[in-house]
Amino acid sequence: MAMDFSYKETWLHKINPSLKLLIMVFLFIHLLMIHNTNILINYMVGMLVLYLFFTGHPWKRLLVISIPFLLIFLTSSTSMIFFGKGEITWAKWGLVHITEESFFRGLHLGFRGISFAILGIVFALTTRPVYLFYSLMQQFKLKPKYAYSFMAAIRLIPLMIEEMQTLHYALQVRGVQGERGIKEFYKKIKAYSIPLLSQSIRRAYRIAVAMEAKRFTNHGNRTYFYRLSFSKFDVIFLCYLLVIIPLSYVTATHFPYFSITDVRFGS
Amino acid sequence: MTTIASMTNMRLKFPGVDSLLFEDFSLSIDRGEKVLILGPSGSGKSTLLQVLTGLIPHAVEVPMKADALTIPESWGFLFQDPDAQFCMPYVDEEIAFVLENLQIPRERMDYYINHYLQQVGLNFDDTHTKIQTLSGGMKQRLAIASVLALEPEVLCLDEPTAMLDPEGTKLVWDTIKNVGEDKTVVIVEHKIDQVVDFVDRVILLDENGTIITDGPKQQVFDHHKHVLIEQGIWYPGVWEDYMQDKSRHITTPGNTEDTKPAVHLSDFSAFRGKVKALQVEEAYAHPGEWVTILGENGAGKSTLLLAMMNLLKTTGTYTILEQDYKRIKHLAEYVSFVFQNPEFQFVTNSVYEEIAFSLHLAKWDQEKIARRVNEMLELYHLEDHRHTHPYQLSMGQKRRLSVAASIVKEQPIILLDEPTFGQDAKNTFAILEQLDQLRAQGTTIIMVTHDLNIVKNFATKVWRMEDGELVMESPAPNYLEMLQPAVIS
Repeated sequence: MAMDFSYKETWLHKINPSLKLLIMVFLFIHLLMIHNTNILINYMVGMLVLYLFFTGHPWKRLLVISIPFLLIFLTSSTSMIFFGKGEITWAKWGLVHITEESFFRGLHLGFRGISFAILGIVFALTTRPVYLFYSLMQQFKLKPKYAYSFMAAIRLIPLMIEEMQTLHYALQVRGVQGERGIKEFYKKIKAYSIPLLSQSIRRAYRIAVAMEAKRFTNHGNRTYFYRLSFSKFDVIFLCYLLVIIPLSYVTATHFPYFSITDVRFGS
Repeated sequence: MTTIASMTNMRLKFPGVDSLLFEDFSLSIDRGEKVLILGPSGSGKSTLLQVLTGLIPHAVEVPMKADALTIPESWGFLFQDPDAQFCMPYVDEEIAFVLENLQIPRERMDYYINHYLQQVGLNFDDTHTKIQTLSGGMKQRLAIASVLALEPEVLCLDEPTAMLDPEGTKLVWDTIKNVGEDKTVVIVEHKIDQVVDFVDRVILLDENGTIITDGPKQQVFDHHKHVLIEQGIWYPGVWEDYMQDKSRHITTPGNTEDTKPAVHLSDFSAFRGKVKALQVEEAYAHPGEWVTILGENGAGKSTLLLAMMNLLKTTGTYTILEQDYKRIKHLAEYVSFVFQNPEFQFVTNSVYEEIAFSLHLAKWDQEKIARRVNEMLELYHLEDHRHTHPYQLSMGQKRRLSVAASIVKEQPIILLDEPTFGQDAKNTFAILEQLDQLRAQGTTIIMVTHDLNIVKNFATKVWRMEDGELVMESPAPNYLEMLQPAVIS
């Protein structure tokens, strides 16, 4: 059972993976420090452009992936909207208390959640794990021991999916009928996880021995099949961010969507 | 001749096991020798290879001591499981991994990658091909290519074809013979008809890891045949000896065509997703028949079994004992299924529970269950293991348990996906005999296999699959006659 996950390579794919990772971490931290919803919306649009037009994946896949985004938005915003603190009351039913402040704070949280999700998924969709680990070894001096363990582990995932299918058949063949309920769910988890884990542990152990048999050592120098360095695409990416982020601040000041500029309580 | 690998008085013990696996074990191998190590499972053949190459104790931490130990300067190790020896997702990256370890400069890598792939007869338009898409035989040849990248003097092979079909097995051994010509080769195997021409020295171990005999192959085969039989080794001619010894013949149950068919397929197709994966115009199986499904890899043999088990989307006519399969509520009451890998079939924590499982589901009363399970335990020689976890059984025991657990309800039809796969000769014959008994009692057996010896000696009928289509239904003797003299000697 081979899954098709082909894509076109775009400039986002060609950015140095370590640099991309580092920038993403910075962007995550920076996102936490934005408290003005106007800025956040502009910012989110800037990232959405990357997601929609430059990941090189087909439209259908992008759409499917974005379904959970909506869920993130709904869950993170509604709880704040319904139960958050505030002074200007809009509506009140029992425990639910919607105020102007809590509404905007909820909206803000929702947008922030989406921005996080977009950044993460853009990174995941445009970065091959193998390149990432080669780059981490070369740019960040990550020990080969860790890099290759991760790469070997990623190889096990499709094998596990195949085994899960077989297990599913096996249980059906034995006459196990899918029943509902927590106890059944627990039983199901047990029926799947133990054989899958035992097989994976055995396999991981064998791969480790095979790697040593191929003279893999943690010390000494290595040469690299993929040499990852920096290129003009890194500059393009940095420039894009350096334009989009200040731009979202400037437009937020001059053309705000809402009058509230800080959603934190008490400010 | 110079010695390339040797050990004197080696002692080795696995943690948690009371006795030593090897005690004062000595062995020496000369440059250029082709050595075959034989022995029952658990005799430490694989362990011995790992000691010879220094993997024990360097990579695998097992307490081991030896008075003297010579490890070859350069060696390569080929393992059994095609899926458990690669750490990279693509062909080129995998060979590059070895080249990186050896610090070959990047500029030379492309040349070497192509060079080694050519040596093992793998030709790709683009070497950046996913390993996942290769067949088992191709994976093993890729593994040989990456072993060759080490430029080893000594090749150690640990049952490299145990998980391959006959075609893959042949290609892999041809490749090994080709590249191993000028090297020292040490082979652990229990299916030896492919390697017997290639090796010149045979070492026979017993279950305690002591050498029974060590010498030129002819001498070993002539003088120690009884040991080979006893230990279930697939030596050349094992089938002939078995058939003679048993003087067993198939009791063809009357004219089966007259009885009601157990299975009838007509214009039957199955789908994987939206793709049509199987087409059967017309096929019958009667009670007391043993049908073998033959065909190349990927011809749709397993698909046919899954479809008959109603695990895939199907259309067309499929009747079980003259009932439409769609009308049958619990197909598992009529049809049982034995998987290729027994472990994937186990759903409980003990041998007893495993066999009792479907009976509990069918809500039998406790006393009846206990009686039936004990009966099965005895029949399949598992009485001493009733409380053991299924995973802790040996290969042969696991196989027997999976068969016992599947057929415990005495379903009239048994589907089996290569049940003898990876089993030694002794276990294989044991399973086949048990199935044959069931057949004689009127059970219909439908089994995927690659082994024409089973067709010759056990089957009554052959279904041949090609490209997802059942292209021929013929009585077993007629089918074999048609093949003669090409395959069956």
